[in-house]
Amino acid sequence: MAETLHNLVLGFSIALSPPILLYAFVGCVVGTLVGVLPGVGPLAGISLLLPATFGLDATRAIVMLAGIYYGAMYGGSTTSILMRIPGEAASVMTCIDGYAMARKGRAGAALAIAAVGSYVAGTASVVGLMLLAPPLALFALRFGPPEYFALLVLGLLVLAYMSSGSMLRALAMATLGLLLGMIGIDQMTGYFRYSYGVVELGDGIGVVPVAVGLFGLAEILATAGLPTPPQVLRPALRELLPTRQEWRDSAWPIARGTVLGFLIGIVPGSAHIISSFVSYGVERRLSKRPEEFGQGAVAGVAGPESANNSATSGAFVPMLALGVPSGPIPAVMLAAMMVHGVSPGPLLIREQPGLFWGFIASMYVGNLVLLILNLPLVGVFVNILRVPYPILYPSILAFCILGVYAVNGSVVDVWIMLLMGALGYLLRKLGFETAPIVLGVVLAPMIEMALRQSLAMSDGQYAIFLTRPISATLLGVGLVLITLGLKPLVTRSLDWRARLALAEKGDEQR
Amino acid sequence: MNRSRAFWLVVIAGLAAVAPVLAQEPYPSRPITIVAPFPPGGVADLTARPVAAAMEKVLKNPVGVVNKTGAAGAVGMQFVATSKPDGYTLLLALSSISIIPEADKLFGRPPAFTVDQFAPIALISADPTILVVPANKPWKTAADFIEDAKNRPGQISYSSSGVYGTLHMAMELLSHAASIKLRHVPYAGAGPALTAILGGHVDALASGPAVVLPHIKAGKLRALAGWGDKRVAALPDVPTFKELGYPDAEFYIWAGVFAPRGTPEPVLAKLRETLRVAVGEGDFKGAMDKLETPIVFKQGAEFAAFFEADARRLAEGVRKVGRIESK
Amino acid sequence: MAGAALVALALVVLWESRALPLGSLRNPGPAYMPVALALALLGFGALLIVLGKGTPDVSSVGWTEWRHAVAIFGVCAFAALALERLGFRMTIALALAFLLRVVERKGAIFSLVLSIAFAAGAFLLFDTLLRVPLPRGALGL
Repeated sequence: MAETLHNLVLGFSIALSPPILLYAFVGCVVGTLVGVLPGVGPLAGISLLLPATFGLDATRAIVMLAGIYYGAMYGGSTTSILMRIPGEAASVMTCIDGYAMARKGRAGAALAIAAVGSYVAGTASVVGLMLLAPPLALFALRFGPPEYFALLVLGLLVLAYMSSGSMLRALAMATLGLLLGMIGIDQMTGYFRYSYGVVELGDGIGVVPVAVGLFGLAEILATAGLPTPPQVLRPALRELLPTRQEWRDSAWPIARGTVLGFLIGIVPGSAHIISSFVSYGVERRLSKRPEEFGQGAVAGVAGPESANNSATSGAFVPMLALGVPSGPIPAVMLAAMMVHGVSPGPLLIREQPGLFWGFIASMYVGNLVLLILNLPLVGVFVNILRVPYPILYPSILAFCILGVYAVNGSVVDVWIMLLMGALGYLLRKLGFETAPIVLGVVLAPMIEMALRQSLAMSDGQYAIFLTRPISATLLGVGLVLITLGLKPLVTRSLDWRARLALAEKGDEQR
Repeated sequence: MNRSRAFWLVVIAGLAAVAPVLAQEPYPSRPITIVAPFPPGGVADLTARPVAAAMEKVLKNPVGVVNKTGAAGAVGMQFVATSKPDGYTLLLALSSISIIPEADKLFGRPPAFTVDQFAPIALISADPTILVVPANKPWKTAADFIEDAKNRPGQISYSSSGVYGTLHMAMELLSHAASIKLRHVPYAGAGPALTAILGGHVDALASGPAVVLPHIKAGKLRALAGWGDKRVAALPDVPTFKELGYPDAEFYIWAGVFAPRGTPEPVLAKLRETLRVAVGEGDFKGAMDKLETPIVFKQGAEFAAFFEADARRLAEGVRKVGRIESK
Repeated sequence: MAGAALVALALVVLWESRALPLGSLRNPGPAYMPVALALALLGFGALLIVLGKGTPDVSSVGWTEWRHAVAIFGVCAFAALALERLGFRMTIALALAFLLRVVERKGAIFSLVLSIAFAAGAFLLFDTLLRVPLPRGALGL
């Protein structure tokens, strides 16, 4: 403990030296700029800007990348709340209630809650990272394909709680998303599936164009032509801050989101994306007023935003403790270290204490810089809503195209965004929710791969899911959830969804 | 109406005015782009950037790197194969350039590109893969491993970067050379494959030396043998499969620069010369040193011969694996 | 309506999957998951048709903004086609100019200045300063 403290002092002495601080600051600003681009989240942000850091020395480059990474995450939630454009797949849930809040004139409050939630989650998870990294990392590595499969199945069960309308429609949309996720090379056999000679479809349809299309573009298509364009909102200064009630409503979601996100985040792979979906489902389940979700519930912003942020920090646990490229973002960070001659590995902490602790300390600093940078900017951002929509939306469109193109340098991605925009517009008109589609597209390749890898490991024995303790436990939890979900059927008590449906029926009859 | 027409005239005239006048000029007279068909941070990207920087210095002309990613590199390779052969679009390819067309052929689909669509310019680096196993496994030598695999066919598992990927091919070449049968668990990339062996979910992995060296040093993994012609400099005690009597188990993860076929010979000559000087640059050597990747420079006929031999080995490997169907 | 579309999609997927090996439960092939999902979608679609009395009908939903939606969609399609041919700046400038001037009927000078400034500014910021490569098109623009 004393040693950790001593090391942290070393780290801060590095992170707070003026040149390093400057790089952290520049990283945060640049990250925010890139993160505002639709679709460009932390992963795309640091991959796009990685080459720009090659000229720096190792510590500066890593610190700047950490800044870019946090900046991109904050930037993403801004566009989600103001314009319903997900900065990345994980921000999809923020779009729903964040944008609903913005339409009610609470954009400032949503932005402030998102910033504070991200700050709390980011800082708390760095503490977790610092104190628990070695034991947690060993635990995380025990997640092989069977455990991963069990975790994803749990994630799928959350789908059932996600929609505000009918369960059947949500399931239909999720299945549609899962089917869309099947496009591309089958990773287990090399067969091309449903790609019709389009080589770019080999990697499947990316989550980014799907999310930006279904949310951002569909929103523009549906709103731009309304006879009365959305009114220009002129928030007064005092309305920029969350009310006491809003703070109270978001305190627990932030805390739960932080813990949940961190735990999901440390699992190797891309599962961190589902953390915001899971958090949203959990918050709605626990809320006393679940019917408010989708209509601007502040918990629906606070929970997912915190979960998202701490999940991505959690993803650094195996990387820092063991030097394992445990997910896409850590892999890019490790590459950045290699470029600078730092060989990442289990000995990193011992061999490069300055770099390691400097990185940890700069994560604290980066979070704080962003909070300080973002809270005053809330006022500025909210003013974007004062721009009349006919002038605003063409620029948003241009940014959508720019962002989606930039992620892979692929025009095919732009086309996918367009098609998804049209699909989203139609589904919206017909009263379907599109968030389950995004979750489906995210989950499909991972679930299928994990299932088939597990069977390859066990030579076709399904018992592998039950003989490994972690996967058996996760599946057990899933079983309990299903049982709880079925309980109302047995006890004949109506859950909120049925109550809502009854209330709606009453409205129609009147 | 008039106003509207004037508006469009201004738009088009304004945009046209900024267009540079295109004329025949000595090569190179505008920025050169090197396409890396994998995302930033991957081997192709990390090699392409120092190459571009060194070329820029030699040519005194901007050289940039663009990542065109997708379909295990096929997207970027196809992009270069079909781009104008003027020497301004180059490709930094890895060994997979010879695997992808072969796999396309195997499945009877129109190939994304063929190897003949490229003119090889120079080989930059070649790193043999090495066989690693978790340190807590009983095998101390490659002979132990192969013998155990013979006794328990299909029981020892290995992870790879994906079906028909480089790490899969390396293992397949070994399996055929030693007539053993291993259980293949593909992962989505070299990173996840490494994570899998460190987590103890598989028993073996063929990998480039640089990424596993720190784990070998830390005592988590044990290196048994290498696929190279010579031993890996950083692991002088680890034999090659060639020494052990499996000459067919030869495999390198290499990086080379290609141009689209049809690029004029003077341009190719200029590029070869540029790269020869560029790999000698101190900065370039330093950058590759940091990546722990040995520079192996070959050009012209020498590179063409290496490329062909490698492509033949890999094509045969893909055919031996065949289509992966239900057992 | 939506239910029927989902059923149709599921049938298309089933038809298209016939070329892929199905595999077995113990060793699922490339077609296993898609077929299973298509069957599920088929079921959900059918249920939607049967139970979908309360859902809004296509004709009952207001489609007043369709002209706008089609125009915007067209501009995006143009942008996707032109992006790598004309280059980022020219494509975005033209698309913005069209949307502002023709679709939204803003002033000519205003539209012109805004679209060119936006295209050039975004390019300068992201490509030149942040080194995010954006297409320059055949003419190097």
